[in-house]
Amino acid sequence: MSDLLKLLAALGVVVLGTRLSAWGEEMPKGGSKVFPYPVNVTVLENGLKVIAVPFDSPGLVAYWTVVRAGSRNEIEPGKSGFAHFFEHMMFRGTEAYPKDKYNAILKELGADHNAFTTDDYTAYHVLAPATGLETIMTIESDRFKNLKYTVEDFKKEAGAVLGEYNKNASNPFQTLNEKIRDTAFTTHTYKHTTIGFLRDVKDMPNQYEYSLQFFDRYYRPENCSLLVVGDVDPNRLVELARKNYGSWKRGSYQVEIPDEPPQAEGKRTEVDWPNPTQPYLYVGYHGPAFSDTQIDMPALDLVSQLLFSDAAPLYQKLVNDEQEVDLLFGAASDHRDPYLFEIAARVKKPERVAYVESTITAAIEDLKETPIAADRLDKVKSHLKYSYAMGLNTAGSVARGLAHYIALTGDPEAVNRVYAIYDRVTPEDVRAAARKYFVSSGRTAVTLSHREGAAGGAPGGAGAAVAAR
Amino acid sequence: MRRRLVPLAVPLAALLGVLPAGAADSKEKKTMKPISNPAAGSPLRTSLLPSPSSPLIAFRIQFRCGAINDPAGKEGLNVLTAMTIAQGGTKDLTYKEVTERLYPMAATIDAMADKEVTTFIGSVHRDHAKAYYDLLTSVLLRPRFDESDFKRSRDDLVAAIETNLRGNEDEGLGKATLDWTMYRGHPYRNLDIGTVQGLKSITLDDLKAHYRKFYTQGNVVLGVAGGYPDGMIESLKTDFATLPQGAPPLVALPKPKPLSGMEVTLVEKPAPATAISIGFPIGVTRADKDFYALLVANSYLGEHRTFNGRLMNKMRGDRGLNYGDYSYTENFIQDGGSTFPLTNIPRRQQFFSIWIRPVPPVNALFALRQATRELKMLVDRGLSAQDFEATRKYLLNYSRLWAQDQSRRLGYQLDSEFYGTKFFIDRVQEELARLKLEDVNAAVKRHLQAANLAVAIVTENAAALKETLLSGKPTPITYQTPTTSEALLKEDKEIESFRLPLNRERLLIVKAQELFEK
Repeated sequence: MSDLLKLLAALGVVVLGTRLSAWGEEMPKGGSKVFPYPVNVTVLENGLKVIAVPFDSPGLVAYWTVVRAGSRNEIEPGKSGFAHFFEHMMFRGTEAYPKDKYNAILKELGADHNAFTTDDYTAYHVLAPATGLETIMTIESDRFKNLKYTVEDFKKEAGAVLGEYNKNASNPFQTLNEKIRDTAFTTHTYKHTTIGFLRDVKDMPNQYEYSLQFFDRYYRPENCSLLVVGDVDPNRLVELARKNYGSWKRGSYQVEIPDEPPQAEGKRTEVDWPNPTQPYLYVGYHGPAFSDTQIDMPALDLVSQLLFSDAAPLYQKLVNDEQEVDLLFGAASDHRDPYLFEIAARVKKPERVAYVESTITAAIEDLKETPIAADRLDKVKSHLKYSYAMGLNTAGSVARGLAHYIALTGDPEAVNRVYAIYDRVTPEDVRAAARKYFVSSGRTAVTLSHREGAAGGAPGGAGAAVAAR
Repeated sequence: MRRRLVPLAVPLAALLGVLPAGAADSKEKKTMKPISNPAAGSPLRTSLLPSPSSPLIAFRIQFRCGAINDPAGKEGLNVLTAMTIAQGGTKDLTYKEVTERLYPMAATIDAMADKEVTTFIGSVHRDHAKAYYDLLTSVLLRPRFDESDFKRSRDDLVAAIETNLRGNEDEGLGKATLDWTMYRGHPYRNLDIGTVQGLKSITLDDLKAHYRKFYTQGNVVLGVAGGYPDGMIESLKTDFATLPQGAPPLVALPKPKPLSGMEVTLVEKPAPATAISIGFPIGVTRADKDFYALLVANSYLGEHRTFNGRLMNKMRGDRGLNYGDYSYTENFIQDGGSTFPLTNIPRRQQFFSIWIRPVPPVNALFALRQATRELKMLVDRGLSAQDFEATRKYLLNYSRLWAQDQSRRLGYQLDSEFYGTKFFIDRVQEELARLKLEDVNAAVKRHLQAANLAVAIVTENAAALKETLLSGKPTPITYQTPTTSEALLKEDKEIESFRLPLNRERLLIVKAQELFEK
């Protein structure tokens, strides 16, 4: 997972001293992080998880609904991008609260509200005065139970989704993301991006019937969590939730996501870009699924820091000393199923792509052979902990981070387990993870460059999280 | 990997689909009382927001210099100076050593160089207050100005124009071209990151001279928020007293040249969809009473990324034209992945704008007509009593969300000082509480109009678009799937032939590759 995502997914903090130190002294370091706010989890009879996290944001609550369905769930051919499209449809209203009425209620509260979809989940979020909790729950529970839209509304919204695809279409990273998945995956639904293939996005207006099925399958209480962070009384939240969500019927659908077979040999593909650009190099190694019990993913998170953080020797060499690249990034993002360790670089001079690629590969090989010094590992662990502590600054950021782990595991406590593993990772674990996952047969490389006079195709593809607006 | 705050450069993590976080700031513990600072002009102004129980400390060290101070031919000097400082070494430490020391703290030093001010933004956990303080002050007061740091920053900025802006960021290019069209012969016309040739002509000596001139005691505000230790502010004042005294005179801003009709710049580049920005300078800022009346009118027309605005409901909601349609009463950049505005991009002269997110090329002129028509209807009709009341109530609540963490709150406090007004969010509460419908509609009539507009359109096949514009022919909407709504069809007819006040002499086609070259 990237540093930034770590920050967003932050739920553990370093134990802090509670008094100010005298100026000029360093505070004593805390021990392992503990999420300092109580996490109250109640499961209703219909399977809905209700999670209350009292947090010091006087008069404010972040109200999140996490649906464990994302583009990973788009198993039928031609349906890529559907989870995200459906997220848009969730704003089209119900009989009791047509969209204008729904919006007027949230407007009156002065709420900031939106939604986003990722590979693994969809999240709907409202940030509003705590006094509006009951009102918000009334309209939110209503749309999750009783969503209703016309064929015409459905078709109109398809235009907005196409617009969302288009707004990112000039960005090379969208195309790189699309290409690397399409090349690296043959079977698993991670083959497509969250926004989906352009051909499928264009066909969305014709999928009304499928949308009803999608709602029926996944928008069920046992597949969702309600999470409220901020100025909230856990008991009252559960009481309100029973009243509003209690009648929501359980579903029975079990999705079967096809496993990705092991990649037999390295793959490589090229993209001709219509606009002048420095060349981009994008490499993916098949990696592990997220786990809060196995060491592989936490070890790779440390690998990401050791190679690609701005203090990493490789980063220093390519970005600062030799100045061969102006962008360098590498991380394994958390996914429910095995995904990729992705590496991206933008190379300043076209003729230096091969050199940059071989330099990155050499650094990876070195990691497999030479154990990392213990003090370097300690610095990485410190960095991750403090990133966490500093990310816990608003009810919304706490909720966002918690939603990430709820989506991955169903359990908000996952973050504490992951951090406990970080603390245990040894230099040998790092080396073992590098040896296990950085293998040439599991590697896919995409280069993107502009050739003068080349007719570039329509750019496309979107990143991992796409929002309703 | 931490990408930098290069204006216009999207952090890579964001491009890879990670929702960007704002700067890591501390959580607010209690309502913080600002500590007033000495009057402007006296040495070493501070802007403090103590929150003793907070574990985090946020810094915003702001200098009164910006792109408007770039000398002709050296456009980009201000941002390049700021970047070379923030992403550079100190007299004693190389940039690599600074980075290595910041890393275990997960602390950062970023620069945001805008038109009028340049702000160095940092945050740290108070466990590391002293170590971070030493690095931050050394970077700012004893910059290394290393040739290698300078070259890297300059390359980054040139790439930000040549590759990112011209090639990869059609919406950003549209907004930059709007400034370029609105502000002919005005210091605001240039990009905050300069021009390609300007950047290439700058030397390290130019940076040092810029630093000596603008990084002075009378030209800085020391902004600090959170759980900072006792004694730190005194140290800060003592340390910054090593800067030269005084402050250079403010650049006098001319009045923007009046626009004459609809002045359109078409930016030609390969692009799958067409990005449109519309705008015109206005004579009000946060310092003025009328600004708060316009805040309400604007929210009704196009509140950023909400379904409150007419533009969003009519263009996206009813017609599925694109992803979003918003409007603004002042310079606006979204803060990371939030819905809220970035702070510390203030301007003494502001502008009104409409942002139409990329539309299929076939609908570009329909979208332009529809947005212009909506603006005209707002000016002609104003708000109804019901819309006024609903929007006012919304903003009274919504504005409380703008400064949830202390770094953003500090940013708002600095901006309030820039405009010479009380804390902005308090002022919103105060002004909106006593606003009347007729105040809003009168302010709309005074400051907004739909006759003299700058328009920037980023599109492929600009020549054909120009021809259609000149022809004045109706430009009907092409629906992905046709609508059956009679009301919509009727309104479509009105929109497609809505008369645009086109200035035929000022209709330009510019190649993206030639923009912001020099």
